[in-house]
Amino acid sequence: MAKVRIYRDLCKGVEECGICVSVCPKKLFQPSAALNPKGYRPPEMKDEAACTGCENCMIYCPDLAVAVKKEKAAKGAKK
Amino acid sequence: MSEIVHPLHRFIRPYVTSTTNCPGCGNGIAAQAILRAVDELGMTLDDFIFVTGIGCSAWIPSPFFDVDVLHTTHGRPIAFALGIKIGLPEKKVMVTSGDGDLAAIGGNHLIHNARRNVEMAVICLNNGIYGMTGGQAAPTTPMGLKTASTPYGTFENPFDISELVIAAGASFVARWTTHHARQLTASIKKAVQKKGFSFIEVITQCPVQYGRKTGSGSAVQMMKEYKEKSILMKEAAKLSKDELRGRIVVGELVDKEAPEMLDELNKMKRRASGEKA
Amino acid sequence: MKEKRVQTGKYFMMGNIACAEGALAAGCEFAAGYPITPATEIANRLAERLPQVGGTFLQMEDEISSIAAIIGASWTGKKVMTATSGPGISLMLENIGFAIGVETPCVIVNVQRGGPTTGMPTAGVPADMVQPKRGSHGDYEIIALCPASPQEMFEHTVLAFNFAEKYRVPVFLLSDAFVGHMREEVVIPEAEKIEIIHRRIPEIGTDPQKIKGFLDEDVAPMPIFGKGFRSHVTSSCHDEYGKRNLSDLTALDNFIRKLSDKILKHKEDIVRVERDYEGAEVVLVSYGAVSRAARMAANLAREQGLPVGTLRLITAWPFPGEEIEEMARKAKKVIVLENNLGQLYPFIKAEAAGHADVSFLPPRVIGEIQDPEAILERIREVLK
Repeated sequence: MAKVRIYRDLCKGVEECGICVSVCPKKLFQPSAALNPKGYRPPEMKDEAACTGCENCMIYCPDLAVAVKKEKAAKGAKK
Repeated sequence: MSEIVHPLHRFIRPYVTSTTNCPGCGNGIAAQAILRAVDELGMTLDDFIFVTGIGCSAWIPSPFFDVDVLHTTHGRPIAFALGIKIGLPEKKVMVTSGDGDLAAIGGNHLIHNARRNVEMAVICLNNGIYGMTGGQAAPTTPMGLKTASTPYGTFENPFDISELVIAAGASFVARWTTHHARQLTASIKKAVQKKGFSFIEVITQCPVQYGRKTGSGSAVQMMKEYKEKSILMKEAAKLSKDELRGRIVVGELVDKEAPEMLDELNKMKRRASGEKA
Repeated sequence: MKEKRVQTGKYFMMGNIACAEGALAAGCEFAAGYPITPATEIANRLAERLPQVGGTFLQMEDEISSIAAIIGASWTGKKVMTATSGPGISLMLENIGFAIGVETPCVIVNVQRGGPTTGMPTAGVPADMVQPKRGSHGDYEIIALCPASPQEMFEHTVLAFNFAEKYRVPVFLLSDAFVGHMREEVVIPEAEKIEIIHRRIPEIGTDPQKIKGFLDEDVAPMPIFGKGFRSHVTSSCHDEYGKRNLSDLTALDNFIRKLSDKILKHKEDIVRVERDYEGAEVVLVSYGAVSRAARMAANLAREQGLPVGTLRLITAWPFPGEEIEEMARKAKKVIVLENNLGQLYPFIKAEAAGHADVSFLPPRVIGEIQDPEAILERIREVLK
């Protein structure tokens, strides 16, 4: 379980860069509908609930445009 | 429910709104690895002085990091860094620079300071090209590649920079690629704490001047190639030189103890001021 | 048994040694250099003396890293110096331009020798006189002093350090093999009698975003490293905050003009000359070792009732144009004496030719100093 934040204005685009899309082991990124003010197309998460919090997207983003925060599982939930 | 904040954004200079990197530039991955190392060590950027030369990698801390930074002349950051270390021996001095800056025009200073084993960390962003000036061949460009200054293909043997630095006498030498961001962070942490000259070569993608212009692929493709071509030092030791052709040997290649220059300098000063040994 | 920085006393001392002692007296803490005739004595002396007072001398791998290392150390707050000769300055010029551009105090001693290229290392030929001003690329102002004796090698080194600290600029000492290697009486005063100036730095704790550490005609406080200023010091064109600007020509114009105006605005403080031309019709203009011959010739001329005087340039850069023009208005004939093919001569002539007849007298053989008798002969010629 993890929360992911995409800093759209810092991103340099899924086509031009696309590193986060490539390093996500669960393939959870897809191109978003709108371009950012610089004309790049940032990604959006297909299914945030499926994110394991591996942090690959955050660690590999050259523009520090993705932040990931691992969340503790709810009480009683399976590990 | 407040939005999460990137844990490393606090290290960025307030007036900087975005990086100056091309999309997919490996330097950005290395920049983050450096900041992550600082963070994991529980240090702040005020513990550091950064020194850079000329080229895209020189812009890793300049102006991006909120830190004291000296952005100098081509090839010379290590020489400036030595003066800074003499003046502020308690601070961590880190040089980020490219293969052209450090091994071509700056080769002499790299060799001598590795020889002196003076305490500093040098991160060499090796993208195999002169990126900022539009993609000219560098001493690390593979034989035969067509670049802006070698339109019929390069005709020189390329350098193995890490081997050069090891031979010169540095006490910590590591090589990783941008595919190895986590290992890179771990090695940077070691380099920062090492009492000696620490050199980390980072094989990094230049997606525009190298990738696109020489037909070598996108950032993602170049990183995939690094993953395939990389081989850990331990594994590489089992292979022959022929089998290793075209592979990138990664790992902490050397981690040894050796006399460090500032220690020796201080001993000399005590002798000079007449103290008993 | 710690040696003292200021070796007060009266000595029979070599010029190069006096220079090194001047550096110590001025508070030099770090020097780096590379062996080169005829400057090597300065490095050797600093290597011996600096560690005695807690400082450091490093022999670097070349002159380029020598100037780089001292600039780096200057940015940690240290007073720094290097000493070399013409070929070394040629190597250092790129980084000297860097020191100028980011406003770094440092002292650079050029013990000039016969050039060009390897030339004649032991000949005292001051033929690098315009190199400080025009040697590095771009438009800039620099400070350069011309000592004419071992005593001045001491005094001008102290002055050089003070100018460097006050104006955040590299300061050259343009000596030569004559002045560097000659031995003469040198008096080193008590420490309290020597004026020492330190650079200003911003107040500790100032918000880094608010620090204007560059491009102030009245000299910005230097945001040295390690004090929490988070200084962005860049060789690129930048603004008052050190922020890089590679696109606006107005930013470039500001960068160039402010760096120059910082020196030009304070010419009154920086420019030093020695005047001895009251009532003279013929004025001998010179500097350095040649000025000793000029003074002797002027004395001989006066003994013979000839109206001769001297103007000695102590500051070569910023160019003492006003002082030369002032002199030329009072003189009829100006004779410029240099031990080269005429390096400051065109600049002197530009200021003086509107008011007096200006001519140039080299030595009989470049490398010798002019014979006072030969100068006297020329004086008689121009007076005809």
